[in-house]
Amino acid sequence: MENNTPNQNEPQFRTQYIDSIDVAELLGQEQKAEISRDLPMRKWLYSWLLDPNIPGNKQKQFDKWLGILIVANLFSLVFEQVPAIFEPNKQAFHYFDVFSVIVFTIEYALRFYLAPEDEEFKKKRNARLGFVTSPFAIIDFLAVAPFYLQAFLPVDLRVLRSLRLLRILKLVRIIVPAYHEFSRLNEGRTFRQRMHALVFPSRFSGGLHELFDTFIAIWVLLSVASVILESVESIHYILNLQFVVLDSIAVAIFTLEYCMRIYSCVEDPKYQGAIAGRFNQAKSPSTFIDFLAIVPFYLEVFLHHVLDLRFLRIFRLARLLKLTRNSDATAVLFRVIAREWPVMSAASFIMGLLLILTASMGYLLEHEAQPEKFENIPQSIYWAVITLASVGYGDISPVTPWGRAMTSILALLGIGIFAIPAALLASAFSDELIKDREGLKANLFKILKDGKIEAKETQFIRDEAKRLHLSVAEINALIDQVIKDKEIEENLKALPVHLIAQRPVHAIEYFKTCISEIRQIEMHMTEGEFENTAKDLDRLTASELQLWRQIQGKA
Amino acid sequence: MSTHSQDSEAPHSNGLPTTKDIVFVLFLCAVFVAVIWLGKFNFQQGQHIEDAKHNGEAWVAWLTEAGTKRMDDGFPHKACAGGVKPEKPADGSAPTGKTPGTWGACLEYLQSASELKGLVNSFFNQPLHVVEKCDKSDLSTRGAISFNNLVATPAGSAVPLVVNPLKDDDAIDGKLQIRVIVCDKGGYPIKVGELEF
Repeated sequence: MENNTPNQNEPQFRTQYIDSIDVAELLGQEQKAEISRDLPMRKWLYSWLLDPNIPGNKQKQFDKWLGILIVANLFSLVFEQVPAIFEPNKQAFHYFDVFSVIVFTIEYALRFYLAPEDEEFKKKRNARLGFVTSPFAIIDFLAVAPFYLQAFLPVDLRVLRSLRLLRILKLVRIIVPAYHEFSRLNEGRTFRQRMHALVFPSRFSGGLHELFDTFIAIWVLLSVASVILESVESIHYILNLQFVVLDSIAVAIFTLEYCMRIYSCVEDPKYQGAIAGRFNQAKSPSTFIDFLAIVPFYLEVFLHHVLDLRFLRIFRLARLLKLTRNSDATAVLFRVIAREWPVMSAASFIMGLLLILTASMGYLLEHEAQPEKFENIPQSIYWAVITLASVGYGDISPVTPWGRAMTSILALLGIGIFAIPAALLASAFSDELIKDREGLKANLFKILKDGKIEAKETQFIRDEAKRLHLSVAEINALIDQVIKDKEIEENLKALPVHLIAQRPVHAIEYFKTCISEIRQIEMHMTEGEFENTAKDLDRLTASELQLWRQIQGKA
Repeated sequence: MSTHSQDSEAPHSNGLPTTKDIVFVLFLCAVFVAVIWLGKFNFQQGQHIEDAKHNGEAWVAWLTEAGTKRMDDGFPHKACAGGVKPEKPADGSAPTGKTPGTWGACLEYLQSASELKGLVNSFFNQPLHVVEKCDKSDLSTRGAISFNNLVATPAGSAVPLVVNPLKDDDAIDGKLQIRVIVCDKGGYPIKVGELEF
């Protein structure tokens, strides 16, 4: 089904050489744009704000903030349809509308003014006319025109409000380039591979995957906010129908996302096999969370006549966990817990043992004095947990001298007992990070062995830096250290022996170098000359001569 | 170790969907339609709840309005007028819900002769019925209306109000604090409002 031919569409990275590594470029971080101050005003402004080909300029931020404003406009339009929200905040909605129109108008004016600098329009006879008649500009115009129309024409305001929906079309300015990039990266790939690239991060994903993730994240946040607000009786009373609609749309989106993930996961070699692969993917924590996010909706719809499943609604908050899919820190935490599980389970066992013992003691010492509070051992367990955890609600407290003495000891023990798992986790987390960084260092060492960093290696370093949340400065420091280590390894002979002995790896390298040089001595001499001379002059002991023979492979 | 999934390399493809892909896309469309249909079902249920709330609001509006005038002479709705002590029947038994001056008599009048008589429980498409309390184990209470009598406790009490269902034989000669409740699709109560009657 699949072959291993290298893909021509992979992201292209410049090969960097060890003597001139630009870490900022390596990590794909913002570089400082090199835009001359001597440029004419129009060119300078275009270079800073709109030119997509100048790395480090403000074009991406400009597009990002406009995108946020468009999405905010979309929400504003939706909320305006809810009288309970719109009526009391009419003024705020109006001010937001005015603000948006001002920003969009400035954007339109800027693009109009700077059109002669744009590659797309500068070749036309009249660049600005070319801009005005371009599809994107028409959308931009339609986004603001209704607002100005109401000032000059007696148009029904409700019609104008609905025309503001056209602002959503401005998103095409962000989506279309991302789609083109996605198409370019996935040229010649199958439909399923494209779907995989869209829903899972891979080197074929590009900006469209980021937009997909952002879209899902927005819906996660919206749906979680609605679950929280639903619990406020007064809000739920007013917005019940809106919550129903929002939940249905969210479930539709999450269900489609779930199906897409299950269908396309087999493109990942880890999940190969039409059924087994998909089953394994479904079992993975992140996909299981996706399942948990949608299942309460279906259970409630189908079974609400039979069972009271209202409690399942709270599980909709599990949707928040969907956001952890993009968090590498969560993966590290799970790994740490898995690694430390034996120690943690031992600590938990001791904690449980202590809990039961102290609860039994508490029951023994206090039952007679307070039969209603220390009625039985299970009730005493509650008291023991509250005391051990240093919470101390005070609803159950000992009154007998022996009970109080035991509580004092228990409280002191609690500090240590509860601190153990916390300390274990903290130290394991820190160890894991150190281990990961050491791993990256070792990989950097291998990567830099040939003196250059190639495209695939750049992608690896970029991924690792992102996963370990390393800054440019930290990667720089690591690379410096690797280069130093490399130099040391290359110049071991220049170092004093006691320094070489400090690092076993260096000592081994040094040993190998020495053996290699001893072998070279024989190669540069006539056969038997070394041994004969040593014997004649009696310069070597028998064991030294034996060792020489062994090194030369004669023994 | 990469954060990126190990996406397979590109085989030669024209990028067009295969039969399997088309089947999947059709399945996806079917899922989408099913979710929309379920969403529509939920929406309809939500609309029934809205209808129930509107019924409750109509009751709240009427009772609030009546509450300001029912102690006056010439209050047109005699069955709900204030100041009328329920008369004990001749046999000495307690007044029933039919006795003038009781909540039962007022309720009967409101459901049969007032502007509230036409209200419909849209869950069952039947006239709105009154229940003592919403009951999640009895789905016939869906969309029904219920009235609670709120009685203030003496100052300093841990609980400021005692809430009891308003019963048919409760006297309404004096002022009452009433909480109007409607039952949702699961038989859970939704508080519509509180008023002085």
